[in-house]
Amino acid sequence: MLTKFRSTVCAAIGLSFTVFFLSSCLFQNPNGGERPGIGYNKGYAPDQPIAFSHELHVGTHKIQCQYCHNQVERSKSSNIPALSTCMNCHQQVAGKPGDEAVAGHKNTDEIKKLRDAYNDGKSIEWVRVHMLPDHVAFNHQAHVGKGVSCQTCHGEIEKMAKVTQFSDLSMGWCVNCHRQPENKAPLNCTTCHH
Amino acid sequence: MNNNENKIQSDNENRKIERDSTYWRSFEELNNTPEFQKSLQTEFMSSPLREESKHEGTEADGVARRDFLKLMGASIALTSAAGCIRRPVQKIVPYNKQPEEVTVGVSNWYTSSYFDGQEGLGLLVKSREGRPVHIQGNPKFPLNGTGASVKAQASLLGLYEPNRLQKPFRNLFNEKRTNKETVGVSWEELDAKVVESLKKGGVAILTGNISSPSTKAVISDFKAGFNADHYAWEPLSDDVASAQATSYGEAVVPGHRYDKAQMIVSIDADFLGTWGPTMTNNKRFADGRRNIDKMSRLVSFDSTYSLTGANADIRFKIKPSQQFDVVMGLIAEIAGKVSVSESVKTAVAPYNGIADKLGISSEAFKKVASDLVKNQGESIVVAGGIQTKTKDSLALQTAVNYLNSILGNDGKTVVAQAGNKNVTASYDQIKNLIKKMNAGDVKTLIIYRSNPFYSTSADLGFAEAIKKVSTVVFAGDKMDETAVNAHFIATDNHALETWGDTEFATGLYGIHQPLIRTMYDTRSFQLSLMTWAFMAKVGPKRIQEFETYYDYVRNLWKTELAAKVGGGKDFDAFWNGFLQDGFVGEVAAGSARTFKGDVASLKKTNSSDSAFELALYPTANIGDGTLANIGWLQELPDVVTKIVWDNYACVSLKTAEANKLREGDVIELTVGGKKLSLPTHIQPGLHDQVVAVAVGYGRTHAGDIAKGVGQNAYTLAQGDLLSGLPVEFKKTGDKIELVTTQGHDSMEGRQIVVTATNKDIEHKKDANIHRHHTWNIWSGHQYNGHKWGMAIDLNTCTGCSACMTACQSENNIHVVGKKYVMQGREMHWIRIDRYYTGDVESASAVFQPLMCQHCDNAPCETVCPVAATVHSSEGLNEMVYNRCVGTRYCSNNCPYKVRRFNWFNYAKLIEKPMHMHLNPEVGVRTRGVMEKCTFCVQRIKEGKNKAKMEERPLKDGDIKVACEAACPTQTIVFGDLNDENSRVAKVFKSEPRAYELLEEWYAKPSVRYQSKIKNNDEVTAKKGADHA
Repeated sequence: MLTKFRSTVCAAIGLSFTVFFLSSCLFQNPNGGERPGIGYNKGYAPDQPIAFSHELHVGTHKIQCQYCHNQVERSKSSNIPALSTCMNCHQQVAGKPGDEAVAGHKNTDEIKKLRDAYNDGKSIEWVRVHMLPDHVAFNHQAHVGKGVSCQTCHGEIEKMAKVTQFSDLSMGWCVNCHRQPENKAPLNCTTCHH
Repeated sequence: MNNNENKIQSDNENRKIERDSTYWRSFEELNNTPEFQKSLQTEFMSSPLREESKHEGTEADGVARRDFLKLMGASIALTSAAGCIRRPVQKIVPYNKQPEEVTVGVSNWYTSSYFDGQEGLGLLVKSREGRPVHIQGNPKFPLNGTGASVKAQASLLGLYEPNRLQKPFRNLFNEKRTNKETVGVSWEELDAKVVESLKKGGVAILTGNISSPSTKAVISDFKAGFNADHYAWEPLSDDVASAQATSYGEAVVPGHRYDKAQMIVSIDADFLGTWGPTMTNNKRFADGRRNIDKMSRLVSFDSTYSLTGANADIRFKIKPSQQFDVVMGLIAEIAGKVSVSESVKTAVAPYNGIADKLGISSEAFKKVASDLVKNQGESIVVAGGIQTKTKDSLALQTAVNYLNSILGNDGKTVVAQAGNKNVTASYDQIKNLIKKMNAGDVKTLIIYRSNPFYSTSADLGFAEAIKKVSTVVFAGDKMDETAVNAHFIATDNHALETWGDTEFATGLYGIHQPLIRTMYDTRSFQLSLMTWAFMAKVGPKRIQEFETYYDYVRNLWKTELAAKVGGGKDFDAFWNGFLQDGFVGEVAAGSARTFKGDVASLKKTNSSDSAFELALYPTANIGDGTLANIGWLQELPDVVTKIVWDNYACVSLKTAEANKLREGDVIELTVGGKKLSLPTHIQPGLHDQVVAVAVGYGRTHAGDIAKGVGQNAYTLAQGDLLSGLPVEFKKTGDKIELVTTQGHDSMEGRQIVVTATNKDIEHKKDANIHRHHTWNIWSGHQYNGHKWGMAIDLNTCTGCSACMTACQSENNIHVVGKKYVMQGREMHWIRIDRYYTGDVESASAVFQPLMCQHCDNAPCETVCPVAATVHSSEGLNEMVYNRCVGTRYCSNNCPYKVRRFNWFNYAKLIEKPMHMHLNPEVGVRTRGVMEKCTFCVQRIKEGKNKAKMEERPLKDGDIKVACEAACPTQTIVFGDLNDENSRVAKVFKSEPRAYELLEEWYAKPSVRYQSKIKNNDEVTAKKGADHA
């Protein structure tokens, strides 16, 4: 009898904790507020091993996105360019002494990191900014092929000295677009989950 | 209250299902035992909740449920807490230099080939970011086509096996070789020591069958250099090639055109399951039966219950010692009808009317003979496999050759010119080697991918003889039974790491491309030979001059082979075309040869007097045991018995009853003084005097997976005799539970498989199909775009199980192990149900592949409380893993029993680097999640996407689901039902043999089956309307 009572109490406590946690999470999730939703990472902007500036490359020098992310039209994943792609230009471009594309990081130093890694046959361990859970299959090819611009999801990348997660990448955010009749996008679960 | 209870009870009785015992899958089902009835009541054979409740006493269910809630509460609390924290940082590491052929996220397919010592296959291998993840048949390859055997597909796992050796080793033995120490060595040290030993002379090489022209060239160069001898032996060798040599003058295994034959007689040759090029045979056999109005007839004389026997229209059970009698009996029967010399007539005279002695109806036997005579030039008689390795093996093969010659089959359906000259390994060769070793003539023995310490019996004397060899070098990739007895282990690459070529039929060459750079410090056997020849400065120039084996292969093609089959093209163009297509050349046409053998003096030496005869046989999944450490193969149910993770002694029901044996009772077999204990399996349709045991099990040094699985039945052999040996057995009193996937997943005796005979369908193509009147209470779905569907022709399905492994590989399906299969927790998304029909003594079999039926009115969808299984706009029944909370209601409500539940986090148990085989297109499911066939939705998406990017409409056949792509017989067809011209739509619309499973339930499956036709000239007895 006592054991039974105890297990009931445990279950009750367990359940109330659950309710508490769930509700606190819900209350902290005002849509459109300053803070991103719980579990999402909108605004995430980690430091990268090389202070690469999209502002300089895309904004100032007007390099096409697909020059570096060249597989985005034929693959579900958009590639981070191989070091060899960077070296196409940086074989020549060493950076002006004193220039800083990202405040606090000298261009010459950053380019040296790249050149050293390339010459040593090593790679750069970039920190992933846009991360979907493993159970979501997103396809760049299908979206780019449809004419969705990079900025729609990634924001004004040409103004980012340091890449920031622009969208919250939540399922609601995905589905919002897919639901618009003009997009003629599929809404089946297996479109993304399989 | 009381009244109510009574009423419910009587209702239940009224509702009791009328059972149809025409088809049955286990003895429990056939006899409808209480255990079977009980097992039907429970969807899940075990549950931790139910087990817990047992201990809690009276309030059984209540407590279990409350604990369940408690557990739920805790896990929700944990997840929500974790949800508030940023997940761990992931790194993206790009290439230093972009490889031209790699697009991240897009797979590349390479042509390659596979050879397991018996069977060769042309393959396509899928590579993702430089690692091979899936293997399927090369549709263009003239032999196997799409078919890829379970072994070929599963060989992929061998690449990533943690038990693989990663560098060369050396065994330091004590004087008597009773103790040893294994140490790692460098290649330089190994090479120096081996060359030193090679220079002393007395070199021998032992290999299995070698099908590669380049490897053969390396070996012959090496032989020339070191004056070495080469011996080829396979544990599954039979005497087909040797008998061809005595009958026709050349050792070859002829190409059998089962597609061109109207009458096929197999005497223990399991050509669909384990003997010869099985995938090619399956394809050709199905081609000969696709047209139901002009089907071939397969007659099988079977001493084990082989897959070929299971597919036979007429199956006779025999014992191994009767094989020779059967063939001589057939010659005697037809002697009057075709021209036969007088001496042969006299010789076969004693075999007149042998059928009665064999326990076969003489009328049926006469009919087999007359069918052969009727189909002269369009029939095949075939015998082979270790089931025929009796004392009379050679005589049997000679008689078979003679029979084919007098029937005019030679050159038409039995084509030596299109045969394989590379599968001529024999027991005679290993016996010669042993003789030489005993004489002290072998100082250095090189063993390549051969495992005589495991797969020979003690009385062949290999283990004793090898003690006289001062240096044994082993080239393989495991520290296996033979490697532990070798002085040096020159660790070989995996096949997927090596270049090569193949010749599976005379004049038809295949390429063998590597898919990955060597993962470890290993070196191909061929390069080892080249290195040793180079260091010793012996042999022709070409073995010494090249730095890699690839250069050697390419050079051989450039200088010799391209001239033969290249058609005068520029070599680079030829080579690129070769790599692109995967093969060059073609299968030669045949012409008849003159039979030179001597039938008149053939004598039977094996007596049929012993009470019981042993028949050793290989299984389709484990084969000779080389791949025993691969989980996919161990968990794949045996094609006939459906037992997993074990071997066993098969006996007939009558024998079991006479000896008071039940399933799983351990018996001790005694064959010529050697003993082996095995659990009993009661096999329907087995000869009462046969004990059949599978070889390939009982590996001690294959790795962690194979350890402790079954017993080594090779030990029962007597030298080179593997069958027809007198065997005694006695009950030990122990019991080992044999685990089968067949006892559960029952379909309650409704119209599941439909069989008809050729006579039945003469007037009515849809004979024996009971159509139900159905009506709709659902509003129905609208499918405006695609509507996916599948058609499965039971008539061409041979039950080879290639689809199961393909599915497992494609969809990251976990292996759960014997313990959990026993509890009904196997994870296969597609299964092959085997139904026996007829009485136990002469049961015949039907196979039915079954996967999620993707019902339009899916019963699972309506019961899911969280909408984790939903209907798509294209007719797919979708399973959303991340929504699933694991109530398992869906599985309870599924009438087809195709849903699988993850009881544990199996993915966590995958040891590195095994995780590299996982298909990145498909999620890996975690604990507590239901899963099932998705119709390979990732392949559908890929196909649709490809068509869209190429701006063209999707064509029928663009999308091939994994099971369909692996099927050698094109039994499975997948396509769009909304496309009128698709193959699958045509079956749905106009195929009279098509039917739905459980049509009366109106689940409206998207899969339709076509009835199986048995070409046995019988008429099915009319049944009452006894099924629902």
